[in-house]
Amino acid sequence: MVDIEIKRDRIVIRWKGKKWDWMIEPRYWRNSIYWTIALILFPALAYFFSPGLVNTMVSANIYAAIAIPLALMTVGTGRINFGPNFYVGVGGYVAALLSIHMGLSPWLTLPLAVLMSAFFALLFSPLVIMAKGLYYVLLTLLLPLVFLEITFIYTGLFKGDVGLFGIELLFDLGGAKLNFLAAAYVSAAIMVLFLLITNKILKSRYGLIMAAINDDEEVAHGIGVNINKVKVLTFVGASAMIGVMGWFMAHYFGTFSGITYLPMTYMLKILLVFMVGGRAQVFGCVAGGYFVAFLEEFLIRVMGDFQAVAFPIILLILLFVLPRGEGLFGLYRKRHYREYMPQIHVRR
Amino acid sequence: MSDLLTCTNITKRFGGLVAIDDVSFSIQKGETLGFIGPNGAGKSTMVNVMSGYLKTDAGKIVLDSVDITTMPPHKRVHQGLARTYQIPRPFPELTALMSVITASLCGKDRKNQSFEDAAGDATHYLEFVGLFSKRNILARDLTFFELRMLELARALATTPKVLFIDEVMAGLNPGEASSAVKMVVKAKEQFDLTIFWIEHVMAVLVEAADRIVAIHYGQKIAEGTPDEVVNNDTVIEAYLGKGWRNYA
Repeated sequence: MVDIEIKRDRIVIRWKGKKWDWMIEPRYWRNSIYWTIALILFPALAYFFSPGLVNTMVSANIYAAIAIPLALMTVGTGRINFGPNFYVGVGGYVAALLSIHMGLSPWLTLPLAVLMSAFFALLFSPLVIMAKGLYYVLLTLLLPLVFLEITFIYTGLFKGDVGLFGIELLFDLGGAKLNFLAAAYVSAAIMVLFLLITNKILKSRYGLIMAAINDDEEVAHGIGVNINKVKVLTFVGASAMIGVMGWFMAHYFGTFSGITYLPMTYMLKILLVFMVGGRAQVFGCVAGGYFVAFLEEFLIRVMGDFQAVAFPIILLILLFVLPRGEGLFGLYRKRHYREYMPQIHVRR
Repeated sequence: MSDLLTCTNITKRFGGLVAIDDVSFSIQKGETLGFIGPNGAGKSTMVNVMSGYLKTDAGKIVLDSVDITTMPPHKRVHQGLARTYQIPRPFPELTALMSVITASLCGKDRKNQSFEDAAGDATHYLEFVGLFSKRNILARDLTFFELRMLELARALATTPKVLFIDEVMAGLNPGEASSAVKMVVKAKEQFDLTIFWIEHVMAVLVEAADRIVAIHYGQKIAEGTPDEVVNNDTVIEAYLGKGWRNYA
């Protein structure tokens, strides 16, 4: 007969000398199929029950897709970039301006937005070589704010006060709800793509070299790592990835304005996603992105205007409460020593 | 024996302070060169200059007939120069094995080396220094002696020609210190190294070194076999002060 035994973390089923294990503790659900199914089913179900949640999912995917390259950049350069939204602005404005003034289709603006983000990252890449610690933080923090000022000064071009509109939509399926659904799948696809690319890089030999740079730059230099090359390449690559999200937002909403993405509030949200999910953990960024987006949505529905005060306070408390700075992902991940667990150092 | 590494007229100034003043010496292939001097004599500055962390103000460093004076540290490592640190500087969040793998991957420009090759290589070096059983432990959880050995393994994994050892005995108890010294001597024999050894403890260098260079206030005051240097009046004066004869 079928023999079912329930253990602490698993259900063991025995039948005719065969044995099946079924893990019940979530931290052992390593099988990515579960998560893929959840990612595919969620928008489809939410479409029928609560269409607003589809929109929340899109913003969750966007947060995660900005935080993932930021995690890569943090490990690879050994510094925390406080202005990832600068590249969102660059990618978004390039896509928006080209689409409005030159009538380019979204598929043509994508490579240009990526190239432009990479170009600006290359322009500012000496920062990762020269500036350390607080100076790096201040300089990167300044970039989006300066860009925001520029959108107001050259308001004729950037429309800093009202925002650019009339950008060609990525897809138009005839109906806002359907568009949301499609956007949910496209954003999830971009997010998963970023996740796979970043995870692949971090698990490879280059990830190990980045880990060494994150731990001690000088020693890494002293064992033969060309640290400047690695740092600049990571900085440029990750910035280009963040630029893609700017492009996506411009073509998804059909409007783009710097005041939404360039101020400190948006930057703080990205950094909180990145910290709440788990310090510089790529999978943690996804957990953090979903957690932050859905918490925000929940608080807006429950608290109304008071949400603006409660939301950051709850997140800051979580930073202290969650296990040893490992964030939400720390609740889930299996701990074993082989795995590299990046520690964020802010150096003097 | 031929000169493997030659330093000619090295000068390093920090503002008005001359840390190294016109020092020249050469290291011959296969020898152990001791480098001594009282506190603040400029020993560690010399290593930093030679390994590329500090730029020289004047002078020339030639390694195996390649001029490495202006090379950045990682290129010097590729040329065959490795160092350990006075205070161990491990990668705290990497395991022992992973840090040695990194050194093996980056130590030379090996185009065909896969990650697995590097792992096999690293295992050998870890076994050599006696850390094989600790391979999966994070470096921050190792003891001080184990960190020293990990640093030695990391330096050996870059397959150097010259190994700079910066005070291997500092902070170790006598038992650990003697096994550390034995390990360095063993490494020199097995991997055909040339060693540039900075040490505070004279007794070790007298035993292990073939030649000794002594510096004081950044200037070379003596060079020769251990016996010559130890009995040199200027060296004794540098350590003990001018009136040492009154108490001898």
